[in-house]
Amino acid sequence: MADNKKTRDWYYWRPKLSTFSTHLALLLTALLIASPIIFALIKSTQSTAQISTYPPQFVIGNSAAENYTVAWERYNLGKLMANTFGVAATVMIGKTILSLFAALALVYFDFRFKGLIFIFILVTLMMPVPVRVVPLFKLVSSLGWGNTFWALTIPFLASATGTFLFRQHFMSIPTSLVDAARVDGVGPMRFLWQILLPMSMNTIGALAVIEFVYLWNQYLWPLIIISSNDNQMIQMGVKRLTSAGPEGMVHWGVSMAGVIITMLPPLIMFILLQEQFMRGFALTEEK
Amino acid sequence: MKRVLLFVMLTLLVVSGLVVAQEKTQITLWHAMSGTRELLIQRMVDDFNLTHPGIEVAVEYKGSYRDTLNAAQAAAVAGDAPHVLHSFEVGTQQLLDMGIFALAEDLIDEYGVVIPWGDYLAPALNYYKIGGRQASFPWNSSNSILYYNKTLLDAAGVTMPREPTFEDIIAISNAVISAGVAEGGITWPMHSWFFEQWMAELGANLVNNENGRAGYATEINLLDPAAITIMSWWKELYDKGLWINPGRENWSQARQNFTTQRVAMMISSTSDVNLTENAAFEGGWEVGTAFMPVPLGFERHGVVIGGGSLWVTKDHPDAELKAATELVVYMSQVSQDIEWHQGTGYFALRNTSLQALALEGWYELHPNYKTASDQLAETQVMTATQGALAGVFPEIRTFIEDAAEEVYGGTPVGEALAKAKALIDQALVDYKELMGG
Amino acid sequence: MESKFPNRFFPLLVLLPTLLVCGMFLYYPVAQSFSWSLLRAAFMGLRTLYVGTQNYVRLFTSPDYLHSMWVSILFAGGIVIFGLAFSLAIALLANRKVRGARIYRTALIWPYALSPAVAGTIWLFLFNPTAGVVNYVLERTIGISPDWVTSQNLAVFLVISAAVWKNLGYNIVFFLAGLQNVPGQVIEAARIDGAGSWRCFWRITLPLLSPTAFFLLIMNMIYAFFGVFGLIDVLTKGGPARATNILIYNLYRDAFQHNKWGMASAQSVILFIMVVGFTLLQFRTTGRKVHYGG
Repeated sequence: MADNKKTRDWYYWRPKLSTFSTHLALLLTALLIASPIIFALIKSTQSTAQISTYPPQFVIGNSAAENYTVAWERYNLGKLMANTFGVAATVMIGKTILSLFAALALVYFDFRFKGLIFIFILVTLMMPVPVRVVPLFKLVSSLGWGNTFWALTIPFLASATGTFLFRQHFMSIPTSLVDAARVDGVGPMRFLWQILLPMSMNTIGALAVIEFVYLWNQYLWPLIIISSNDNQMIQMGVKRLTSAGPEGMVHWGVSMAGVIITMLPPLIMFILLQEQFMRGFALTEEK
Repeated sequence: MKRVLLFVMLTLLVVSGLVVAQEKTQITLWHAMSGTRELLIQRMVDDFNLTHPGIEVAVEYKGSYRDTLNAAQAAAVAGDAPHVLHSFEVGTQQLLDMGIFALAEDLIDEYGVVIPWGDYLAPALNYYKIGGRQASFPWNSSNSILYYNKTLLDAAGVTMPREPTFEDIIAISNAVISAGVAEGGITWPMHSWFFEQWMAELGANLVNNENGRAGYATEINLLDPAAITIMSWWKELYDKGLWINPGRENWSQARQNFTTQRVAMMISSTSDVNLTENAAFEGGWEVGTAFMPVPLGFERHGVVIGGGSLWVTKDHPDAELKAATELVVYMSQVSQDIEWHQGTGYFALRNTSLQALALEGWYELHPNYKTASDQLAETQVMTATQGALAGVFPEIRTFIEDAAEEVYGGTPVGEALAKAKALIDQALVDYKELMGG
Repeated sequence: MESKFPNRFFPLLVLLPTLLVCGMFLYYPVAQSFSWSLLRAAFMGLRTLYVGTQNYVRLFTSPDYLHSMWVSILFAGGIVIFGLAFSLAIALLANRKVRGARIYRTALIWPYALSPAVAGTIWLFLFNPTAGVVNYVLERTIGISPDWVTSQNLAVFLVISAAVWKNLGYNIVFFLAGLQNVPGQVIEAARIDGAGSWRCFWRITLPLLSPTAFFLLIMNMIYAFFGVFGLIDVLTKGGPARATNILIYNLYRDAFQHNKWGMASAQSVILFIMVVGFTLLQFRTTGRKVHYGG
């Protein structure tokens, strides 16, 4: 009996106290999580002199325009981001097309070795880039693709994940559609284009955002295969942010400005396309 | 009719212009010089293009020395190596073994160009002489010198001798720290290069077989008393809080430590003279330079040439090879030598340059630029100071730097060096075997 | 019977691009890793020497390589344990029904959009002895000023903390989704029966979350083994004294800095076998397949 009374009293006070403390805890946590970026943001507005002073100053400086301009120009960030967008778009479209084709073949046709071919594709899931990076480098260099757009795109056009997901998705589509299509004399390509594609937009969208993040964050491969700064991908720009500038030293204000700049595209994408991201995450879980 | 004639003439003019433009021999130069040096190279190459209308040189900064070497390897495999490659000195054995480069001496004979080798500083040439023949063209040569903040030293009541000892450094560090004018005494990038410089100063060959010059090296002399002395001094400085670690191979942080007056002394390449003088000027303090410190009572033997040289790759059409040779010859001319020297702090390689600048009185105004050449001029000629040749230098440097970090972490010096020696010896033997040596 | 299209040639035609790319850029390099692992090779294969299993023997008897394995496992452990613990705590907090929950959720997970290299860069700055803020704060509060640059243990802390921070958002999203699948009535019933919050959590919520937790365990392990490469390259470059030299970083150095293409290939093979083993193990326990970001 005493227990129930205690519980009842607690339940009475709980809403007010717990709402306030929940808000407080959430706010503090969010602030804590954001604090490194807030620090980077503040410092990106300061001049070298301000950054070099001790104790560190937490005021917003006057050098924001200068730092951001220098970061943009010195590290060629515009070109790098354009390159990365270009590669990302190409690979995303390529992967989607190739995976759709593969799934189409695997689901709506019968042919010899179909099972084997599917396994052949799936096994590549165990071959992430780090595992094959050394001979891949040699192969791509011997093809003469060193330091080119081809090196960044062609090796990534196939997708076991995409094939698997689309295949899963296609298999869940009622077979009556196929029958109807055949009766109407619709060929497989038209079937894909007019019927399967519109039904797969969710999957395509979710895959696209995951792919984009993956390509935007690519580090090891561009590091070794691209040697000229003009052809580089954006993470290599990030790497250079911590190398010495013309004065022979790192200008941290400029570096932090560079960090903020390179952070923005995926962040904006993330905030605008949160739903797609969540769906993409869910997809990677459920397969 | 007149109009048609005019049109035809204009067309012919344009076409011939295009033809002439296309007749330019196109060659590429890959280098590893960042920052203001990159801009300076671009300027020099632009000048070359202007004064050599039949040649067009494309310049590319490829990143660090290691990145540049990797890029060259990849290009060699793909069959499109640059015409002229800038490589660091320790890549020499590798470049020779890769077999894709034309020896400097052969090129000079082939194309009948003239480079007055006799006018060059001997150590700079000798580093890149293999079996008596000039393999590459020395370009940005440096060695390490000691920079110090005169203002801070004055405030602490100490002075820097021209040729300091390890004990001087410890005393000066203690002085500036107790006077409260600096957080630490000295700093330098945690880089194997300095270890190598000190081995030469103490007269020890880094590797066997006459420092790799008489044949492939198979052993590194890390248990030599000189090596132990050096590493023990490093450890002492760190343990006593006199040396501030800027990070592994971190030239930038070392410079920052010095220019923000966090430390009173810095050991770095002579190519930082320009930079430190500018920083000192802006910061309102005075920078001085001195020779590398040696242990008290040890004989000073001199320093090794650092920096890099220019290599010309073989498999190109004759016209391009000739153009590449001309580019390299141009870079070696006295006016370019002086321009490069004054713009960076790398040595003036030619005696004529040195004399010209001395006559101008330039060195009176800029004494810091002369320290490195003085140090070089007083260097004894021996294999230890000629510089080690080894195909596995990147690994050597990794292991030596690992050993240093282990020592700072508490591992005894002898143990860390023995471990590094075992690993490096194996690497050297493997390399020799692989090259069929 | 599923309905199909009749063509025999068409499916192979449309499968061809995928098969070609897989064959040429995935299978072939992996096969080449195997063959190169039996060689000592320099200059990307310009010079080779057959050495049989020497590379493997050396690797498994090399304290440095075994240390890299240990470091990889250590990082995986740290990133999984701390990452999941913190994310779960935050997810529990964010799951409460308050106004603005969606905004809070976004504010808690957005660092996921950063790349590992960016996280490393920010950490490099935060812990910089001259320009950073951490040493200043520590000096003022606890009176110590650690040498982040030289200390091996601190370097491990740096990498793990940066990696955990960057991945919090990802973990939180899944935990939130998992929490929302915990039926509210079950908790209410338990509460009415007198169970305290802690017991509710431990006996009901956690078990129901275990599939999510297991999935996150796997994703975070992959992240720890491969994804943090950029972070390490920017922040510690495998040091000091190899304290943060994970397997993939060691591979990268041996190939692209030390010119040891055969030895690096042997390491690739070992990594491949580990990935295969790991995938099969996971397949056995959940019957699910894994996404490696490809």
